[in-house]
Amino acid sequence: MRKRMLAGIMGIVMMASLAGCGSSTGSSSGEGSTAAAGEETYTIGISQFAEHGSLDNCREGFIEGLKEAGIEEGKNLVIEEKNADADMGTAAQISQSFVTDDVDLICAIATPAAQSAYTAAMDADIPVIYTAVTNPIAAELATEDKKPVGEVTGTSDELPVEAQLKMIREILPDAKTIGILYTTSEANSVYTIEEYEEMAGDYGFTIEKAGINTSSDISLAAEDLLGKVDCLTNLTDNTVVASLATILDMANEKNIPVFGSEIEQVKIGCLAAEGIDYINLGKQTGAMAAKVLKGEAKASELDYESITENSLYVNQKVAENLNITVPDTMTERAVEIFDEISAE
Amino acid sequence: MDWILTIIEQGLIYGLLALGVYITYKILDFPDLTVDGSFPLGAAVAAILIKGGMNPYLTLPLSFLAGAIAGVFTGLIHVKLKVRDLLSGIIMMTALYTINMLIAGTNNLPIFANDNIFKNPWLEKLFGGEIPSWSKVLIILIIALLAKLLLDFFLKTQAGYLLRAVGDNDTLVTTLAKDKGNVKIIGLAIANGLVALSGCVFCQEQKVFEISSGTGALVLGLASVIIGTSLLKGFSFIRATTAVLIGSIIYKACVAVAISFFDPVYMKLITAVLFLVVLVFSMERKKKVKRNA
Repeated sequence: MRKRMLAGIMGIVMMASLAGCGSSTGSSSGEGSTAAAGEETYTIGISQFAEHGSLDNCREGFIEGLKEAGIEEGKNLVIEEKNADADMGTAAQISQSFVTDDVDLICAIATPAAQSAYTAAMDADIPVIYTAVTNPIAAELATEDKKPVGEVTGTSDELPVEAQLKMIREILPDAKTIGILYTTSEANSVYTIEEYEEMAGDYGFTIEKAGINTSSDISLAAEDLLGKVDCLTNLTDNTVVASLATILDMANEKNIPVFGSEIEQVKIGCLAAEGIDYINLGKQTGAMAAKVLKGEAKASELDYESITENSLYVNQKVAENLNITVPDTMTERAVEIFDEISAE
Repeated sequence: MDWILTIIEQGLIYGLLALGVYITYKILDFPDLTVDGSFPLGAAVAAILIKGGMNPYLTLPLSFLAGAIAGVFTGLIHVKLKVRDLLSGIIMMTALYTINMLIAGTNNLPIFANDNIFKNPWLEKLFGGEIPSWSKVLIILIIALLAKLLLDFFLKTQAGYLLRAVGDNDTLVTTLAKDKGNVKIIGLAIANGLVALSGCVFCQEQKVFEISSGTGALVLGLASVIIGTSLLKGFSFIRATTAVLIGSIIYKACVAVAISFFDPVYMKLITAVLFLVVLVFSMERKKKVKRNA
């Protein structure tokens, strides 16, 4: 009995799939007109590549940015939120489901999500707005002069490497070697390390890097690295940031300062960071998306943007523990100073 | 309708991978973890060749070849160096991570601007300008069916019979005066060739090589094989290879349902539950557990 039912279901699926082959030409030609008809209510799809503090902030900021431009969820905005759990195959399915639902715009968070969204949306003429893509040029989402390669644009979360090096020099005048832990599979990290290596010499530093494949390699790599360096600095590397607590513990034992790359890292125990605020980055992205949704500009007409100002964050409690005095000039210009280490 | 097309597209691409896993897991009885490395290997080979200007269709056999070589190495490690099957796969998978990175030169290599098997001047000429959207699923279907038919054909040849004999009863192979080690190596080569072919098609469909794309490939392949073969066991007219392809489509359908109707946080859990429901439905579960315990 069950088997027969199952056979029935299978049959329907197969028939449907065959029918799909024949009829899709008709439906695809009609898609363009319906997308333009969304006058008042917009539907957008948000494809986030992984669950991660900074990426979550991007998403929140993005929704806020839209709201500031008058596009608000519940009023004139429907949001479909999906998360690929760091799986490329799932990311592909998510992007294609947005295209099938014929959303007005796809917001893609992080590089693989952006590439997958652009692949799926390219032929359907759905604009893609990305954020947290460190190097859109290397990801082939923009040309050398920052121009989009199609209906795809957004914001880059490129780290202010030079400002970070300058800050480390100010706080640690005698330091020679900076250690960086990174995941070899993360394009963003590899690119940022190149930037560090290029500029470190200008500030009298050498860079010592240690690559890992998975979070299980972190303890070994950190132990090795901490023996060779005067301080550590973090990237926005997903795997490394997720294990930051472990790294901080090991570094504290050896009295080696760890610098962060964004506010959350300083909160939980990094000494200081010249970083970007992902909420602001998201807002900036939301503003771009609003322009595209309202028809003020096409995505292909907007160059990708980076965040223009970086903000300094300092954790005084960490400085105290390490017996380091942060110069007054720095504490004065810091955007936020923390007096405790939050356990989170 | 597009929804179903997407599922079939993805299902058939990963179906190639599932065919490979079917050979190692079901026929050879060899838990081959090389798969997690040979899937991105096929993608890396495809991306770098396409970037270099090669005809995208030529990357299909070349990716297969690259995967087959990886399979041969896993086989040599196991047969000649007498390393346990599971461990040989792990060694090769680990090595392939670096090899893939070296082949592609980076961990993320986009090929947006290049031709691929779904979009190239030749196809444009064939369709007279605009390439229709259904051509994609058709091309994937052709590749998957071709791979399936060739595999069916191979399994009927003498070498194919030997392959099946090694998994079922390897002393028989020895009594036939054949070297069972060589047969295993051939099986692993074909299996990983298919997996790399799957990676090659996936890379061109996604227009990007991404090093992490192989993570969990084996699990996905195993799920497809088990769903397919146990669900369609009652239908004797359906070949196991067809069942595996259908299993992969069903697996992808489970993921699609989880994506569409549930909160993203629950996605994996929902996929797991759907997977379980399909398995329980097929009533094969008890026997499976005993045999593989």
